[in-house]
Amino acid sequence: MAILELTSVSAGYGPVRVLHDINLEISAGERVGLVGLNGHGKSTLLSTLVGLTGWQDGSIKFEGEEIGGRRTHGTGRRTPHIVRRGIALAPQGDAIFPGLSVKDNLDSGAYTSASWRTRKERRDRVLDVFPPLAKLLGQSAGTLSGGERRMVSVGRALMSDSKLYLVDEPSLGLAPKISLSLVSALSSIDIGDGAMIIAEQNLPLLAGRVDRILGMHAGELKLDVGEALGDVPPSAGGHH
Amino acid sequence: MIEVIISALVLASLYGLVAIGISFTWASIGMLNLAQGFIFTAGGYAAYLFATFAANAHVSGAALSIGVLVAGMLGSAMAGLFVGAIAFLPLHDRENFRTRSLIATLSISLIGTQFWLLLFGPQNQPLPPIFGDGRVEIGSAGISYGQLGTLIVALLVLGAVIIWMRSSRAGLQMRAMMMNPLGAAVVGVSVRKTGMQVLAISGALTGLASVLLAQVFFVSPTSGVQPLTVGLIISLAGGLGSIPGTVAAAGLIGLAEALTARYLQQSFVPFVLFGIVLLILTFRPRGLGGLLEDVRE
Amino acid sequence: MSSQETKKRLVGRRSLRPSWPVNPDRVFRRRRWPFSKRSMLSLQGQFNPKNLSRERALQDKKPLFWTVGLAALLLIPLGVGNQRFLALFGVVCIYAAINVMWTLIIGTAGLQSFATLATVGVGAYGGGYLGITYHLPWPLMLIAGAVFGALMGFLISLPARRLDGLYYALLTLGLSEFMRNFVTASDALGGKFNGALFGVPMIVPSKLMQGRLGQSLSFITTFILLLAALAVFRWINGGRIGLMLKTAATSKEDESFASAIGIDFSRARTWVFIIASAALGFIGAFYASHIGGTSLQIFSLDLLLLLLAMIVIGGLGKAEGAVVGTVIVTFITQWFVDWGPWRIILVGALALLSVLYTRNGLFGLKEQLREIRQRRQALYRASITSRYAEFLPQQAPEIHDKGVIADRVFERNLRAGLRDSISPDVIAEHQAKPLGQHSETLERILNYFRKAPIPDKYAVYCTKPFESYRVVALSGIPGVPPRVVDDRIYPSLDEAYHAVFLRRVNDLRSS
Repeated sequence: MAILELTSVSAGYGPVRVLHDINLEISAGERVGLVGLNGHGKSTLLSTLVGLTGWQDGSIKFEGEEIGGRRTHGTGRRTPHIVRRGIALAPQGDAIFPGLSVKDNLDSGAYTSASWRTRKERRDRVLDVFPPLAKLLGQSAGTLSGGERRMVSVGRALMSDSKLYLVDEPSLGLAPKISLSLVSALSSIDIGDGAMIIAEQNLPLLAGRVDRILGMHAGELKLDVGEALGDVPPSAGGHH
Repeated sequence: MIEVIISALVLASLYGLVAIGISFTWASIGMLNLAQGFIFTAGGYAAYLFATFAANAHVSGAALSIGVLVAGMLGSAMAGLFVGAIAFLPLHDRENFRTRSLIATLSISLIGTQFWLLLFGPQNQPLPPIFGDGRVEIGSAGISYGQLGTLIVALLVLGAVIIWMRSSRAGLQMRAMMMNPLGAAVVGVSVRKTGMQVLAISGALTGLASVLLAQVFFVSPTSGVQPLTVGLIISLAGGLGSIPGTVAAAGLIGLAEALTARYLQQSFVPFVLFGIVLLILTFRPRGLGGLLEDVRE
Repeated sequence: MSSQETKKRLVGRRSLRPSWPVNPDRVFRRRRWPFSKRSMLSLQGQFNPKNLSRERALQDKKPLFWTVGLAALLLIPLGVGNQRFLALFGVVCIYAAINVMWTLIIGTAGLQSFATLATVGVGAYGGGYLGITYHLPWPLMLIAGAVFGALMGFLISLPARRLDGLYYALLTLGLSEFMRNFVTASDALGGKFNGALFGVPMIVPSKLMQGRLGQSLSFITTFILLLAALAVFRWINGGRIGLMLKTAATSKEDESFASAIGIDFSRARTWVFIIASAALGFIGAFYASHIGGTSLQIFSLDLLLLLLAMIVIGGLGKAEGAVVGTVIVTFITQWFVDWGPWRIILVGALALLSVLYTRNGLFGLKEQLREIRQRRQALYRASITSRYAEFLPQQAPEIHDKGVIADRVFERNLRAGLRDSISPDVIAEHQAKPLGQHSETLERILNYFRKAPIPDKYAVYCTKPFESYRVVALSGIPGVPPRVVDDRIYPSLDEAYHAVFLRRVNDLRSS
């Protein structure tokens, strides 16, 4: 059954409309890759799911329940409530807490009382996925490198019992080797009957690691990305 | 000499409680609560109301003491929530929040003083003694039950709050909140709800200080002015947002005040305090413990 | 169609500018302020298309409002003549002068300082002390007050560079308390009388103060003080220093940028602060001589909070806000004395409402409403925009040449249609035969490409005839060579033509 259903979703910031009538369905157990150039709406789509855009329109159904709806102001006011329904987001730019230790950062992801009680086990599970963090547990998160920060951010998202994992640009600003290991780790996580959306600019990185790839262009969803790229031969490419 | 130090420590611990409330609110939700004086007075009057009720209902002894303390803390906590509902909730996600909340809390302070004046009149109201009248002799000096009790209660409550902040989930969320609002939102922390919790807790601390201070002074509509001023000075010197800095500054300033009053003149106290604060700020513009400011993203 | 379409929407806004017909044959002599090039009124000639006549319009109505307002402030109390009224408006003028200078510090210099009353008090006590001890005539006393104020300003400006805005605000807040203690502790400054000084030489001799003439004169002197304060404000805020400071009014990033092009913010701010403090000291000394003495009340925190309420209600950063806010609050507190504590509650409530619901007090309302309207319009437009509409009728009044709108809509639709018609067959056709007769679809596409403007138009550059060709982009500027687009070398002209075609197709697709 569908974990996430978007119908005619539009969103934007102030006078700028970024998303135009998005329709999308994601089923349980799916790992979806969202590709597209910068500025075409990948991050905005993920932000819209948790209510972080300036305004949005259209219906978003998560596990059958409506979490979207018409909204014209109040960026982020509903986000904590939407997140608590079971959506975990690792935002672009990490959004980790620089003054807290890595351990505290991870623990902050266990925000329900049930997950808080079992936070030690959850932390250990995250350390299995990202072994380099084990040595850094006591270190202040503000002193970490880019790749380590990314691991903390994604690790924090994994600390709760979420049904939908949203990862925004995991390879942004990272060296190729690190982003490779990161995306491999992401694809190895067992999501059970949940789902995962990875928004990524680097298409080859996702190849073979996700079940489906969606393309985003000028705020519109284009499925079958392969075809859309097919009719422009590589010799004429090169417009960034 | 020792008695001077003791009374200084007692005063310092109480003003320090108020300062920690201010500092903590600032660190967590980014609001400088200048209505802390109003909250302080609210606790005093709540305790006074309870004491009046208790006198009629013939409650006494330990029940009275505990009741007065709890009433004070509850009254101030509610006042803190009230201040939050007016100055924090409507403004926290709009632009210029810092300045606007500053002016809003100042206005509440302005209105509040007149409000207490109207409700309770200008006279000083005493509170019943909480700790009894005895004294304890330590060597050549004596410390009254009141001072001893105040010190112990203040330090206990403060210690409990600090431990709770460091180890509980809510404490973690409060600390995380102002470091990165987006990060807080994606881990399900509602800034509004947690902010109100912060205000309630800082209010309760202030209410405790209010009841304990009323053992020495009185409850009156303007009883909140002095604690607010001294509390601000201590937060300033200790670094807004740093609990250890604030504690250190409280001790320093309490000691300085007591020593100046004893060995120089009482009227020199404001100069000395001002001078100390200026000195601290010259060498550390962010206060004694102002390192916390740098970690805010 | 949605219900929003059927609702009548006002399109565009016209601002009301007073205008009057003029004789086009007469030479226009623009009135300027003496010894300067600044014109008194911002007048501009315009042509009235309706009656085909020449007109002149006033672009900025603010001088009118100021003139009317200040005239009312002067004449109404003089007209009423009652002593209480005159005294009240005297106080209004003095407080307004203080607030205008405070606005200069907070608004123009951007320094969050609460040291206003401390500075005023320094001028009052300093000037008053000198006046009593050395029997100075009042003009010298006023100058002494200004000097004390400037010194105080210099001292307080020193911490401003190091401390964060909030810390500085708190520090200066405590300054008034500090000054109060200082004065009480000092015997010479009236410590004996609990901080009050008496016998300061007055501007209007106290004998005259009993009668209406004296009271009116006294009020007129305070009005002149207010005019002087406004003049200082205009001189600084509207002058070079103010303009320099305004280049970075909004954010710290703008400030570093402005510093990089040579604007010394620190120095400008310090100067504004010192000048404003000198003015405040002057006002303090004036106040002392106005009432013949001073008291500790000048340092009271309550008064400082009231002054803050005045500028908050009026609007932070604007001189008109300072004046009007002062009038409102002083009226409430001084006229309705029998309301008791309810006066302060009312003032506090007004300040609270101001800070909660308005962005910048009374005089910020116009801008706030405009912004709300614009935001709502922008949201509306964004929500009904589809990919193929360039302009909506609502935006039309902003564009003078309506032909532009039609052009752009046509272009958009044309591009959309061509985009849809590009298919692998068309591309293959072009690859097979770049020149010569083509199918209709391809021909339409090629015509569109050929009509593109020259700047940045792709062209083929021949490096070696019949052997190597490259793709370049023309600059469109005489003398500027075309820029190289990529490193690929094409062995034949046909391949180069096709490469250009593919690039243009890509650009069309991503537009």
